[in-house]
Amino acid sequence: MPRSTLHIFFSTGCWMVLAFLVLPILVVIPVSFTDTAFIGLPRDGLSLQHYETFLRSPKWLQACLTSMWIGVLVAGISTILGTLFCIGVWFLSDRAATIARWVMIVPILVPPVVQSLGFYKFWVVLGLIDTHVGVILAHTLLALPYVTISVFAALTNLDRRIPQAARNLGASLPMTILTVIMPSIRPGMIAGALFAFTVSFDEIVGVLFLTVRRVETLPKVIWDGIQESIDPVIAAVATILVAITLFVTVFGLRGRKI
Amino acid sequence: MSEKTRYWMLALPALALMMIFYIWPVLNIFGISLTEPEPGFGNYTRMFDSNAVKVSFVLTFRIAAITTVFCLLLGYIVAYTITTYGGRRAPLMLGLVLLPFWVSVLVRSFAWIVLLGRSGLVNDTMMDWGIIETPLRLMHNELGVLISMVHVMLPFAILPMLANMRGISQSHMMAARGLGASEWRAFREVYFPQTLPGVFSGGLLVFVLSLGFFITPALLGGGRVMMISEYISYQIQELLRWGLATALSSALLVATALVLIVAGNFVNLRKTFLERK
Amino acid sequence: METTDEQFKIDLAEIAVEKYKAGSLSRRGFLTALGAMGLVPLLGKGAHAQASEIVICNWGGAASDILADVLGTAYTAETGIPLRVDGAGPSPGKVRAMVESGAVVWDVLDSGAGSAIVMNEAGVIQPIDYDIVDASKVLEGTALPFAIGNYLFGYGLATNPTMLPNGVPQNWADVWDVEQFPGIRTFRKSVRGQLESAVLAMGIPKEDVYDFLDEDGLRAAIAKFRELRENIIVWGSGSESQNLFLQGEVAMGKIWSTRAFLLKDQMEPGTFELSFEGGVLQPGMWAVPQKNPAGTEAAMNFIALTQDPDLQIEWFNAIGNAPINPEAAAKVPSELAAWNPADAANVAKMVIYSDEWYGKNQVHAEELYIDALIG
Repeated sequence: MPRSTLHIFFSTGCWMVLAFLVLPILVVIPVSFTDTAFIGLPRDGLSLQHYETFLRSPKWLQACLTSMWIGVLVAGISTILGTLFCIGVWFLSDRAATIARWVMIVPILVPPVVQSLGFYKFWVVLGLIDTHVGVILAHTLLALPYVTISVFAALTNLDRRIPQAARNLGASLPMTILTVIMPSIRPGMIAGALFAFTVSFDEIVGVLFLTVRRVETLPKVIWDGIQESIDPVIAAVATILVAITLFVTVFGLRGRKI
Repeated sequence: MSEKTRYWMLALPALALMMIFYIWPVLNIFGISLTEPEPGFGNYTRMFDSNAVKVSFVLTFRIAAITTVFCLLLGYIVAYTITTYGGRRAPLMLGLVLLPFWVSVLVRSFAWIVLLGRSGLVNDTMMDWGIIETPLRLMHNELGVLISMVHVMLPFAILPMLANMRGISQSHMMAARGLGASEWRAFREVYFPQTLPGVFSGGLLVFVLSLGFFITPALLGGGRVMMISEYISYQIQELLRWGLATALSSALLVATALVLIVAGNFVNLRKTFLERK
Repeated sequence: METTDEQFKIDLAEIAVEKYKAGSLSRRGFLTALGAMGLVPLLGKGAHAQASEIVICNWGGAASDILADVLGTAYTAETGIPLRVDGAGPSPGKVRAMVESGAVVWDVLDSGAGSAIVMNEAGVIQPIDYDIVDASKVLEGTALPFAIGNYLFGYGLATNPTMLPNGVPQNWADVWDVEQFPGIRTFRKSVRGQLESAVLAMGIPKEDVYDFLDEDGLRAAIAKFRELRENIIVWGSGSESQNLFLQGEVAMGKIWSTRAFLLKDQMEPGTFELSFEGGVLQPGMWAVPQKNPAGTEAAMNFIALTQDPDLQIEWFNAIGNAPINPEAAAKVPSELAAWNPADAANVAKMVIYSDEWYGKNQVHAEELYIDALIG
């Protein structure tokens, strides 16, 4: 089929927009290898000095570590709670259950600064300011909507008669959930956990309000870095994060095709 | 225990957590706005009297609206191309949409700072090539905020439109073509109207998220493109004025709710938020 | 209300990291700084301080290390009493809670005039013993009955000559002249210390700045900022202001002298200048909480010791805290005198910050200021 004008217009436009989406992010890569002490393209050659700075900096490494374990914990907690929630409301499937599902996604709709103010006032009362528990709790709440959305999407593809059959054959509810429902919604749970981890790993507004000194997450250190230092070490960190994302995206798309 | 109660017991832990530690503190913001520093509507009168607040709200809605329009225009092109002409390139194109979606907003903002600064890569390159004599002001103003916000929000516009378009059969358009309509006319009169639900969905998502956006404006706005979220944070950090900050937050919450209610008349909210992929 | 500029103290903390990178802060010092940031568990924090040591509370980071290095070493050498620095930040709220709960762990506080007034009214700080401390060894007006100046800091007019083809602005009226001096200016995101520039730009003598700032004067000053706003980027933190100059984003601006002190070494020669013409000078204050663990005398002895001109010079060289002892000003190495807000020649050009004015008017002024700048 010969290409029509419309085809050419849309294809060209699409590639331009995709370039706009991706190229600006990739700019951090050359900058991270700069041999200069300031943000810029390499002058006389490539240098790994900013990666070295990153690897030698207790502040950056500690922040990476903190964000990692908080993210894993948040992913675990919110996936478990979110999955149980979804299974419950999926069984119920009545009006009240739908309202409950709406309640669970409220954090997507509330502006981050507004919810952070809410957290702050309550966390002061609970003594959770500047504690890891406080951050984990906040992140779990922010991750739950994403978990419930992906897990519920997986559940809608599940035939209601299958768990029913298991129950009729005498399997208990926990047994049915563990051996019948969960295996078939695993992709949704994995996607939910991945979402939850990312939400926590990237979250900045909450930690800006809820932490002072004792808890330093990676986004907080990047935030401070952007505001204060001219250091290309942020580019090195950004490059590492982009590389990981690239890897996961490619990996994820491969998986989807198979 | 009845079956129903058992099912509610499954849902309860997450639901209770959400009600106690999220819904309650957020609702409490209304309470604080009416009690601090003293009981009454003082914060609200101050808020409505303040010109700065007015300017900030107008700015917020303007930026959200412009961002939405650009995201829909650019996003439509991408979504349409992927569904219609993508072919075996479709997965690659989708990957290129998803990649920025998974990269943190902070990293992306940093990339834009590197690009758009006065001695950033864009200005430096254009000066090297002799296109411009003096650096352009691309950042620390509304332009910089808009560029980076469109960048952040684009995937949120593309994905709902893509989901919608994938559900549209090409056969109607083929039929219209078979009856002698030009490709453009077939697109405009047959295909495009069917994609409107996706467009509205994507538009609403982008608009609502833009209204409360904080990070990008705070980093690229040079302090002068003060959207309402930044205004709130400024009240807290510089002035310790919780009363006014919570009144502003309440106003922003109400504004967001109004947008959703109005949009609910012609957007499928369920599909946009609850069944979002 | 609280008028002490805590943001400034926190800013000193942030300088720590840069100092370390530049090699002027020892590794041990850096680790202490990290400890203050919660990365290395702090030893004995919160425990009841022994009478056999003295605890100074300041705002963390490099300021803590340098205080321990410079003043601590000297104090211990003279008295034999070990000195510890707690970077927790002696905000009036914390001090009050500590005194009222009876568990005071701090001996001397790195505070400010505004906070000291608040704390004095709450009755939680002690009078300064002027038999031990010398009231004449500080800048005039900073020896209060309940607090005494410890160092000076100020806002100056920083410029990048390479971005100013028609020369460098000499005063605030020049800064408002965008025809002659095109380019982006930077001011602080908070009104504190900024209004003075607009008032001076209107030709008001520096002695009359705060008298001028009644409601009409305030409105006039705000209108001045509105006039200039298309040419303004605002900075939120000290490091941000530093970054704006480093990245060449701004041609001129009003920034803290401590940040300028760092920029002079970071920027290429000839690309950075600082003038205190029409700058704003602010003192920091020592205060001593009621029932401090080491006792009044130890605390007063510490304060008296810090008045030593040589120590003040050392302190200045390390972090840019300007000596408050007029005698020390003369001893600042001549090549650094230009960067010293307390240098007599510089003081003569500056407005003395009025805690009183900001205490009364800050909230109102802040609102107008931000309104003038945004949009």
